[in-house]
Amino acid sequence: MSARWLRVGPDAALVLLTIGGTFAACTIGLAVCAAVGELEGRASDAFAFTALGTLVLSALCLQLARAARRGLAVGPLAGLAAVTLAWIAASAVGGVALLAAGTFTSPLDAFFEATSGFTTTGATLLSEIEAQPDAVLLWRSIMQWLGGVGIVVVVVAIAPVTGPAVQRAFYAETTGITTERLTPRIVDTAKIIAAIYLVLSLAAVVAYALVGLGGFDAVNHAMTSVATGGFSTRDDSMAAFDSLPVELVAIFFMIAGGINFAFYWRAVRRKPVMPQAAEVLAFLAILVAAIAAVTLSVELAGEATLREAAFNVTSIVTSTGYTSADYDGWNQFARVGFLVLFTSGACAASTAGGIKVIRSVLLAKAARQELERPLQPRAVRVLRFGRHAYSEDVRRAVLGFFLVYAMIYVVGSLAMAATGVDPVTAISAASSALNIIGPGLGEIGPETTWEALPGFGRGLAIALMITGRLEVFTVVVLLVAIFGRRP
Amino acid sequence: MKTIVIGGGEVGVNVARTLSADGHDVTVVEIDPVRCATLQGEIDALVIEGSGGSPRVLEQVDAGSADLLAAVTRNDEANLIAALSARQLGTQITVARVRDPDFFGPDESFARDVLGIDFVIDPDRATASDIADAISLPGAVTVEYFGDGRLAVAEIIVTEASPLLGVELAERERPHPAYIVGLARDGEESLIRPEVVPQVGDHLLVAIPTDHARAAVAHLAGGTREVRGCVIFGGGKIGLRLARILQATRMKVTLLEREATRARYLAEQLPRVTVLHDEGVSREAQEAAHVDEADAFVACAGDDRANLLAALNAKRLGADLCMSIVSREEFTPLIDALAIDASFSPRLITAEAILRFVHTQSVRAIHLLRSGFEVIELEAEEGAQIVGKGIGETQGMLSGCRVGAILRGDDAMIPQKGLEIRPGDRVLMLGVEGALSGVEPFFARSRRRE
Repeated sequence: MSARWLRVGPDAALVLLTIGGTFAACTIGLAVCAAVGELEGRASDAFAFTALGTLVLSALCLQLARAARRGLAVGPLAGLAAVTLAWIAASAVGGVALLAAGTFTSPLDAFFEATSGFTTTGATLLSEIEAQPDAVLLWRSIMQWLGGVGIVVVVVAIAPVTGPAVQRAFYAETTGITTERLTPRIVDTAKIIAAIYLVLSLAAVVAYALVGLGGFDAVNHAMTSVATGGFSTRDDSMAAFDSLPVELVAIFFMIAGGINFAFYWRAVRRKPVMPQAAEVLAFLAILVAAIAAVTLSVELAGEATLREAAFNVTSIVTSTGYTSADYDGWNQFARVGFLVLFTSGACAASTAGGIKVIRSVLLAKAARQELERPLQPRAVRVLRFGRHAYSEDVRRAVLGFFLVYAMIYVVGSLAMAATGVDPVTAISAASSALNIIGPGLGEIGPETTWEALPGFGRGLAIALMITGRLEVFTVVVLLVAIFGRRP
Repeated sequence: MKTIVIGGGEVGVNVARTLSADGHDVTVVEIDPVRCATLQGEIDALVIEGSGGSPRVLEQVDAGSADLLAAVTRNDEANLIAALSARQLGTQITVARVRDPDFFGPDESFARDVLGIDFVIDPDRATASDIADAISLPGAVTVEYFGDGRLAVAEIIVTEASPLLGVELAERERPHPAYIVGLARDGEESLIRPEVVPQVGDHLLVAIPTDHARAAVAHLAGGTREVRGCVIFGGGKIGLRLARILQATRMKVTLLEREATRARYLAEQLPRVTVLHDEGVSREAQEAAHVDEADAFVACAGDDRANLLAALNAKRLGADLCMSIVSREEFTPLIDALAIDASFSPRLITAEAILRFVHTQSVRAIHLLRSGFEVIELEAEEGAQIVGKGIGETQGMLSGCRVGAILRGDDAMIPQKGLEIRPGDRVLMLGVEGALSGVEPFFARSRRRE
């Protein structure tokens, strides 16, 4: 890494600060798991020792960061590097805890499960989930919960880290096309987002408890619903409860987690809610249309009902990954429909993955404008959504995002196929990882785990999950800067 | 009335000249000494060299005892300062010309209530709204509304397709209620006589109930149809405002702007307007904008020559209604020769708006029409001389003016045989300039009977 691009002093300080904060946040989660392990009498030592390790590492990083030169502007790549490394570090910590608890023996598998957790993908290699210690189940949920709102958001909200440098990391993690500050100070913005998230999560716990889930199940599913993560405490995911009220609560909170957090803030503060409200409406419209189409096809084929279609489509569109039926066994239209819905995603600046509604809408509008251009070449065309006019920079960014996203999708599918799995499995695995969904089709379908994927495929999925969670550009720009030709 | 006009440009001169001709004392303050010398010979007014915002100058012209101060320089801030200072010194009525909409936003209540300026005139907005009125009523050059919008008084130009050609007005067909009050031929305004035969190019002043305005004007002017597509050339302040007014209707609006950044700004501001980044004058550019299919073409760029050229080209391409902004007085005589349907001068519109405002403040609510006629709205009181008279009888009583329409309850009625004026009617009197000053006593309660 050239010193020209990543200035050693302040740049390294930012990276150390972010990673140190990440370890600190993990420490809290691990400590909670150790306490729960102590209650059940299983796996508490593993979590306690891991927590100790992260505590030491956290202190070390923060101390080094404090010693580094501060107050200077950071380079353009420092934020990207800090965020990417923070997510890798978090996943590594998560993996170590799972290894220590004896859940996995292979470090790669443990890393896969933890990455799937933090990125809120929800893909699992565990086939005997219910046999796992409570501490492990809780840790899987906590990983998703922390990753859902964003590790840097959590770090900034709970740790005393401030300064202009932190903004870079903050923006590099935020999803969406424009970065919006809710308050003059970035720390307050992070606190507001975290507060909204916390309120939603607590509401989900109460709601799940009211519809009959036990305390432990309610807490775990609340965390993984709001985070649109998809890990469950049951082998059969949501199908284990076979309860319509539970599924309705899950649908509600998956949608709630898929809504732009800036929308909540603006609505509560009675500020103008455009264009966020327009995105929410488009999101709901897409969801309803998708549910209607899938319901029609499965009802006609006599395979399933509105209830299964609504739950599984919502789970996929919000990039959660819960399952209540084996939709891989449904008709071919529904199967391909699911594969298409993998890419959609929910609103920007939510906990969901995928392309995001705002980008999909702008892409469609941009495409239409390009089609109209030959008819009136001199017309000045403005990309608009929800009464908001977007600049040409946004048009370029959206088109650029889609281009890079599509390339990664294609190359990822090809590489996945090179491991020897069938085409449906290969394409759905790449897409599911890139769009942080969870289950796929074929050999990694809703009724099974990702064990069918060989080691290389699992490694590739890890890379795709982190790339997808950080919305492609953060990771790709970093890689181009490190390995590409210097401009 | 003692009047001070700040700024001796075209607006100032027009205001000063008219007020001076009406017999008011006018003082003009002008900052440019060369312009001062020219003004001295042009208008019957006291010309003082200096800045209108200067306390020294305001004292010199005795602003404290003035009835009216109109600040109409081209500088918004100077106008505001002059108007504010004058108000503090004790001037009765203040008027300011302010172009930048950021000062007041959409309504002028801030100017009136907070700053104490009685009338703020934005030339661009006034011009844009005049053009929009003309477009919304094709065939009419100008249109103004009375009686809470129930009655339209329109000025129309007789075209070759008009059914009025070669027919005495008394004999004309009357498919729509409309009353032709006045005629302007070769710049001479007169009241209509029944035996008049309209010619091509005559301007007619017509009173029409608003509900029938579109159909009646289309019939009288001949061959006009509703404007469905409009091309605007030039996206300056006037172009932007005009497009904004028109995009609220169902009209298809195309706006031509040659400067890229401005075009982008316009496109952002006007979601329902097609903004083209093009020079707009040449035949190629206008064809690309489908000017040939447009019902109306409005040239409102900053340059008169470009406007005239663009409008001429558009006319040749086949745009039905071609209008142009012509800012400089020198070009105005050319318009009739150039086959352009209507021209608008922001400065004249500003001057007229100010004069009309001054009239309503001082001269018993007489309203000047742009066509050169005057209008006054009077209520017929119980026992007044006019009450009970038929329309024919009123013509004998009142010289130089006519009953244009009667507003009774919710109805707007056009003069016709058998219609009598009843107590409580609101009567719209129309006349040539200066003829309405003696009309008021006919509507007031007769003193002899009391």
